[in-house]
Amino acid sequence: MKKKQSIKSILFSMRTAIILLLLLTAACVLGSILPQGELEAYYTGYYPEKLASLILLLDLDDVFHCWWFIVLTIALCLNLLGCNLLRFPVLFRQMKQDYTAEKRLEDWDGEAAAVLNGEPEEFFRTMHFSGTETGVTSEGKRFRYGVRNKIGIWGAWLTHLGMLIIIIGFALGQIFQQKYTVYGVVGETLPVEGTDFTVTINDFQTLLREDETVEQYVSNLTLTDTKSGETAAGDTSVNHPFSAMGMKLYQNSTGWAATVVVSRDGELLQSEILCAGEHLTIADQPDLVLAFNAFYPDYVLSDGQPSTASSNLDHPGYLYTLYYQGSVLGMNVLTDHNIITVEDLTIAFMDPQQYTLIQLKSDPYTWIALVGGVLILAALFLSFYTRTEELWAVEQEDGTWAAAGRSRKGGILFLERIEEAAVLVNEKNNPAGKEIE
Amino acid sequence: METNTFLQMEKGIFIAAVVLYLAAMVLYLVYFALKIEKTAKIGNAATVLAFILHTAALVVRGIGAGRLPLTNQYEFATSFAWGICLCYLIFLWKFKFQALGAFVTPVIFLIIGYAAMQSKEVHELMPALQSNWLAVHVMTAIISYGSFGVAFAVSLMFLIKGKTAGQPFWDKNVPSEKKLDSISYRAVCLGFLFLTLVLITGAIWAEAAWGSYWSWDPKETWALITWIIYAIYLHLRISRGWKGKNAAIFAVIGFICVIFTYIGVNTLLPGVHSYA
Repeated sequence: MKKKQSIKSILFSMRTAIILLLLLTAACVLGSILPQGELEAYYTGYYPEKLASLILLLDLDDVFHCWWFIVLTIALCLNLLGCNLLRFPVLFRQMKQDYTAEKRLEDWDGEAAAVLNGEPEEFFRTMHFSGTETGVTSEGKRFRYGVRNKIGIWGAWLTHLGMLIIIIGFALGQIFQQKYTVYGVVGETLPVEGTDFTVTINDFQTLLREDETVEQYVSNLTLTDTKSGETAAGDTSVNHPFSAMGMKLYQNSTGWAATVVVSRDGELLQSEILCAGEHLTIADQPDLVLAFNAFYPDYVLSDGQPSTASSNLDHPGYLYTLYYQGSVLGMNVLTDHNIITVEDLTIAFMDPQQYTLIQLKSDPYTWIALVGGVLILAALFLSFYTRTEELWAVEQEDGTWAAAGRSRKGGILFLERIEEAAVLVNEKNNPAGKEIE
Repeated sequence: METNTFLQMEKGIFIAAVVLYLAAMVLYLVYFALKIEKTAKIGNAATVLAFILHTAALVVRGIGAGRLPLTNQYEFATSFAWGICLCYLIFLWKFKFQALGAFVTPVIFLIIGYAAMQSKEVHELMPALQSNWLAVHVMTAIISYGSFGVAFAVSLMFLIKGKTAGQPFWDKNVPSEKKLDSISYRAVCLGFLFLTLVLITGAIWAEAAWGSYWSWDPKETWALITWIIYAIYLHLRISRGWKGKNAAIFAVIGFICVIFTYIGVNTLLPGVHSYA
């Protein structure tokens, strides 16, 4: 039993919470400094051998999804849960029993924060305490006692609950959310792999301002459920996703695509739309692969590097690499209707156009995280700005009243407020400034 | 009027504000060095005037740009300094001790000085920034970081106050260590509440813009790190009785994180928040 209690007290203690938070902080720092999600070769090439090995061994290349980060997060959740379960009866009892005149006066050492020269009603009103309680102490002295914002004691408890809800909502989202990406040019109907949906790109526009900066990207899409035949059409733009059939469609990115035409002895062999970054295996020559590396709408050479002078399609340039059996056969930028010739094959790039990249997402648990966030905000406000405060005044033998108070988190500032209020009330009661003996 | 005319106006007002912040800083330091109380009062007036001009510069820039001036490194930095000054004036009004100015104005001056070194060009908003959430998200960040700036200054005062026992000037003009500790705590509470709001509004906005309310972008991650640091501070105050010196040191560390989150991340760590 004793052992169980000690394990419980260690696991659910604030000390453990702080250690876990520090470890998570260190993980976050590492995850933000080290490039995440790169290929193994990147780390071995960029960092010294031992450091690269350590990064890969500890999964520091994917900190936020690695097993030990998840274990730390689960441990924090357990800590929060345990801490809240243990605290609940304590706070409940505290709220019911701790804030009473009897208890406060019993614990009071008699030290006054201020002395009142008359009846304390006005003083309590000045301090914004209503519904006060009056009575007589065990020593036969009259007293007045007030408490306010008792609800404030739940602030930290609710903050922990909100945090827990956020983590649970986020974890559920990570596990159950569906996320897909499709990209293509106007007129294409793209299957959403792993689902029964297809996305048809009806239109895609890049809206430019007078100074040619991009104002917005807008795609008009039709989402079709091929199983039920249900369709929905609408616009999606940055910050304004299109929602249909439980999916949200986001305008995520854009880039350039071109039609690649492969001919043999003047006869069309293959014609496909290729997005920059994609590659194409030549139809009847599986050893020959064309990679479309980049596109420059207004191609210029700048410091020996291919670049674009503007976003206008004035001088298209297609950077390509041709591979034969995995080895580079050639690499160049095609411009001015030039073509690539490989023996009897010719390859041409034409009709450059922008493609749109759409992200489809369904996360039925986002609302849980939002509820947690709102709860945390409300709880923090409760915690910081509805501080539980107690105020009491006890009549002294000379007819004055000794006033004192106690505030959760208010401390010395609350006592100063008591002093200031007492001065104000005493001045009111004794406007001539007559000295109180 | 054309954008350039507004920007010229903004430039003039901004420079005047910087000069006044500098003057306020010098006056507060003179107050501390020579113990002339009058200079602190003039310092207060200079700070208020600098703040008014600073506000005017932001408004004029906003009118000229046709949007809220909260989207590039210059605008972030100048708004950050504005936020600290706003929080300082609120705390000055509430707690009425002008000695705080000697510790806050150098921070304001350093940050506004950093802003002055940035490009002041006005660019149109990229699509991701065209959202009503921009105003809420960045304004809450300004108030949050401003409060942490004040907490940092008060904590510095606390740390120095401990070494000035028996010096009449400090005893008379600087609140007790207990009170400084409470004021710093209040400032951290305000900053923490608003930082939570920053994270939540940012998450809601990110969900609409990028399809993911949390994606471990460096800026997001560092805002979370800052949040955790201050959460630890709040817990340590309760559990370990870390009031006073330890709490003050933690508030200083927290503000270093704030500076890194606000300025460092944008310039050193690439991510979706790198608009500068």
